[in-house]
Amino acid sequence: MRNLFAFIYRFRAFLVFLLLEVLCIFLIVRYNTYQGAAFFNSANRYVGQVLDFQSGITDYFRLTDINQTLASENAALRQELMQFRLATEIDSTATLDTTYFAPTDSSLALPYHLKASRVINNSVRRMNNYLTIAKGTADGIQPGMGVVSPHGVVGRIKTVSERYATVTSLLHSQMLISAKLQKDNTFGTIKWQGGDYRTALLDYIPLHVKPEKGDTVVTSGFNTVFPEGIMVGTISSIEQEPDKSFYTIGVKLSVDFAQLSYVYVVENTYKQERDSLEQNTGIITDEQ
Amino acid sequence: MNNSFGLNHIIQFFLFVALQVLLMDNLALYSMGFCFIYVAFLLYLPLTINRVWLLVLGFAVGFTVDVFYDTMGIHAAASVLLAFLRPHVLNLLTPRDGYDSSDAVNIHVMGTRWFLTYAFTLILLHHMAVFFLETINFQTALYTMAKTLLSTLFTGIVVVIIQLLFFSPKRERIDYR
Repeated sequence: MRNLFAFIYRFRAFLVFLLLEVLCIFLIVRYNTYQGAAFFNSANRYVGQVLDFQSGITDYFRLTDINQTLASENAALRQELMQFRLATEIDSTATLDTTYFAPTDSSLALPYHLKASRVINNSVRRMNNYLTIAKGTADGIQPGMGVVSPHGVVGRIKTVSERYATVTSLLHSQMLISAKLQKDNTFGTIKWQGGDYRTALLDYIPLHVKPEKGDTVVTSGFNTVFPEGIMVGTISSIEQEPDKSFYTIGVKLSVDFAQLSYVYVVENTYKQERDSLEQNTGIITDEQ
Repeated sequence: MNNSFGLNHIIQFFLFVALQVLLMDNLALYSMGFCFIYVAFLLYLPLTINRVWLLVLGFAVGFTVDVFYDTMGIHAAASVLLAFLRPHVLNLLTPRDGYDSSDAVNIHVMGTRWFLTYAFTLILLHHMAVFFLETINFQTALYTMAKTLLSTLFTGIVVVIIQLLFFSPKRERIDYR
């Protein structure tokens, strides 16, 4: 027994080293698949405060850009609003005789709520990039919600604390987003393979369709994370490798991830109903 | 430099972590060269520090950076590796007549060659651990190696600059207390 203790004492540094490394590996493996409440990451309350303070300073340097984006988005929204107003003025169904009155169909109402939030931490140059936003459970943010910006898809909520949340960016080696070609609705999967943060890969587009450079890629809406038709990017390169039955398509992302300052978190109010239905019928939902 | 762990090093801990999180996070050369300046905290610790204590400090600083970077465990693992290897590297680099009691990790005291070998070896190993843990696969090993080398150069140069700027060339600091 004494020898054993002597042995442990002699190699204590090595044993502590092994112990800590095993702990680290455990953390790495666990965190990769983890989704839920935040403890030790940038959504943590105190860490979030530091990052909030930092972005409070650096945001001033980007104020012009931020204003420009918001102004142009406002203009686009106003234009859309004008079209709708025009359409409702032309449409006189509501003022018709009561016998013909058709109440608005509630199933046509979009089930999506958007919550605007400030980005307080962001990275684009690592293999697995995350964002931190200054909204948490107090504002109704839940893990698994989609995140979009005025220009397109950004990512998906990973962990939340009371006032902050981390977002798995599209620029994450394990992030998959269901997407389709806008012109003919062929669907594939968007993934990022590291390196340049302006381009991603569109996979699983079969060889019989004819994608062209410049074609628009949007989200498919086949899951409850993103609404249908959110911009992802435009096709920048098409390759047909001889040993593959799918195209290798490069997509130029419409979002400039290095310049993100405000994003919208998408809440789908029908999420639970749809997810549980699909699960009950035995369809394995695409988790991304 | 004092030869024991003290207030000085605690201040360095916060200083280097703050520098890492607030400033160096935004700096990347050609999106390949990263500066992980927080390793300087581990490099500048006293030569005779207890090995177990060193490992714990390595874990602490790596974990703190991980929390800010959302890379749970990666920097902690690399820092613990660095902390484990540091005494061995120091052993290999022992001057002919052993370390003096007044010796410290200081470019003026130990000489440029000693310091560069010491710093660059450990930084290289640390960065290699970080980048390979980040990608896991070995398909892009060449790209990862290039990233490691450029980043090692970047971090190493910053570490040397900090030495030249803030560490006094005197052999022993005069204690005014």
